[in-house]
Amino acid sequence: MGIVKHTITNRPSTDALVVGFVAVVGGALLLDLLARFAAIEIPLLWGITFGGQTTLASFASLLWSGIVVGLIFGLAGIGLSMTYSILNFANFSHGDLLTTGAFTGWGAALLVAGWGLADVGYLLTVRAGSGPGPTEIGASIVSAPLAVAIGALVAASLTVAVALAIDRTVYKPMRDRGGIALLIASIGVALILRYVIQFIYGSRNRGITSTEGVRRDVLGVSVNLHDLTLVIIAVSLMVAMHLLLQRTKLGKAMRAMADNKDLALVTGIPTERVVQATWVLGAGLAGISGYLYVLERGTAEFNIGWFLLLFIFAAVILGGIGSIYGAIAGGLVIGLVHEVSLIWIPSDFNAAAAFAIMILVLLYRPEGIFAGVSTA
Amino acid sequence: MSDDDSTTDATPTAGDISANTDPMASVPDSELLQVRDLDAGYGDLQILNGIDLDVGSGEYVTVVGPNGAGKSTVMKSVFGLTTYMGGTIELNGEAIHGLAPERIIHEGISYVPQNENVFSALTVQENLEMGAYILDEVPKDRLEHVYDRFPVLRERKTQKAGSMSGGQRQMVALGRALMLDPDLLLLDEPSAGLAPDLVQEMFDRIDRINDDGTAILMVEQNAKEALRRCDRGYVVAQGKNGYVDTGDRLLADEEVRQQFLGG
Repeated sequence: MGIVKHTITNRPSTDALVVGFVAVVGGALLLDLLARFAAIEIPLLWGITFGGQTTLASFASLLWSGIVVGLIFGLAGIGLSMTYSILNFANFSHGDLLTTGAFTGWGAALLVAGWGLADVGYLLTVRAGSGPGPTEIGASIVSAPLAVAIGALVAASLTVAVALAIDRTVYKPMRDRGGIALLIASIGVALILRYVIQFIYGSRNRGITSTEGVRRDVLGVSVNLHDLTLVIIAVSLMVAMHLLLQRTKLGKAMRAMADNKDLALVTGIPTERVVQATWVLGAGLAGISGYLYVLERGTAEFNIGWFLLLFIFAAVILGGIGSIYGAIAGGLVIGLVHEVSLIWIPSDFNAAAAFAIMILVLLYRPEGIFAGVSTA
Repeated sequence: MSDDDSTTDATPTAGDISANTDPMASVPDSELLQVRDLDAGYGDLQILNGIDLDVGSGEYVTVVGPNGAGKSTVMKSVFGLTTYMGGTIELNGEAIHGLAPERIIHEGISYVPQNENVFSALTVQENLEMGAYILDEVPKDRLEHVYDRFPVLRERKTQKAGSMSGGQRQMVALGRALMLDPDLLLLDEPSAGLAPDLVQEMFDRIDRINDDGTAILMVEQNAKEALRRCDRGYVVAQGKNGYVDTGDRLLADEEVRQQFLGG
């Protein structure tokens, strides 16, 4: 949605350059990858070699982790994309909504999983002080599935509550001020949220989940059950969002409003209610994304969401801002590039590879992959 | 209405019509919309200055006038889209001035804006469903009525409205507004942007909607055609009532022709 006006321009030179560049680099990388699979290594200049050693299994595991982080970016990106198209602004506090979900959710999960092992304050503040370690508390999908499930629900509902409270106090009074004013306000909200979280939970990076017994053989493949949980929940939520937007009256109204706010108003669509529904869905998904991100990662600190925000923005812009399908596709592309590029470049630079791919795609399709397909 | 139904049979009564004609003079018996001494505008900017306007139930009324005269503002004010500054607007005897559009649509008025009047990313059917948003359920019979009225929409109900031609989009917009079976349909420049051969078709469609009993208040750039089709016309200039009479008599009026219809 957010109808992107297609500007028909002639850019044959840029297109040809981009396509040529992608073909050359992509071809070289593909050959190199095949050589790596075949364990062929040919030294080139300056200690750089063509080919090397990469097993199919390690490649598959990079693909898998690319999908896992890609789904996080995509799931979180849905909310960012919806606020952009329905409320008309780029919400810079979206990342800190992820952090909100991560901490409130895991506070609840630890409280359930570690009931009786430590005092309530220690558990609710996600191990802010000193006390039993993650393994003792045993918050994992294997030993405490109920705790993990409750945590996810709490993450979603408290993040929604926080987002609705922020909307009422900050965004609603300035609803008609335009995207830039709201964007700047959201940067302020991001800072407030982040430091309130730091104040409550402390700034230490702490281990949260227990990984004991989490790696299992599923159909002959060794799988981290936390990753698998993440994938299942993320994909189900994405399908649910699709059905909601396409099949329900509220979903259609959200798409209508994203498409044309003035017309939605004269059609009798209660625009304020649609805005609130947008916050409920967007913030709920953000909270769960943050919570799942910690499930997969095992640790959390107060600025995880802020660091994720750049990737989420990249995913959403790459996919075509305003489209939830674009957010999902963009998330997967960014996630896969982020992980698979580790074959060639050190892990300090793989984020740069993800952004380089984003820029390349945008050179070729300035409106993003899904521009024009536009649905909420 | 066909082309041979021309204006020649109207009695030219140029001398009788003057500025500030009593608007009640030619108002039909059953009053639907009554606007009295309306002041309205946008923010601090006042556009309308004491407008009087009436629409009888089932009547077809057009508002014409030069660019910037406040024609569209009259219509937007009826639908609560402007800043209300004074006067009264009554629908079936009940005051509706100062109400928000989402309230007014419940009172039996639907509005078709001039531009961007369809949800382009939604399918034709979804556009029509949105037209009935304020109802708990989409009224099936009404949907069928709209599809019967505009058969091409039934054929293309799963097509995205944004991918349709200008004339078809205009049908989607009309259909959307008709989903609530309104007493009064507000049309803002329905012929704007249409190819010349589609303009007549558009006016024919509006005639048929009016024949179904829906009262119409229309603002039109294409003043001659609009006045030819309507029951009564208003000429609005500088935010004030200029002339009021039957469309045919306005068309025949020398002063109106010279000032507003290009001779």
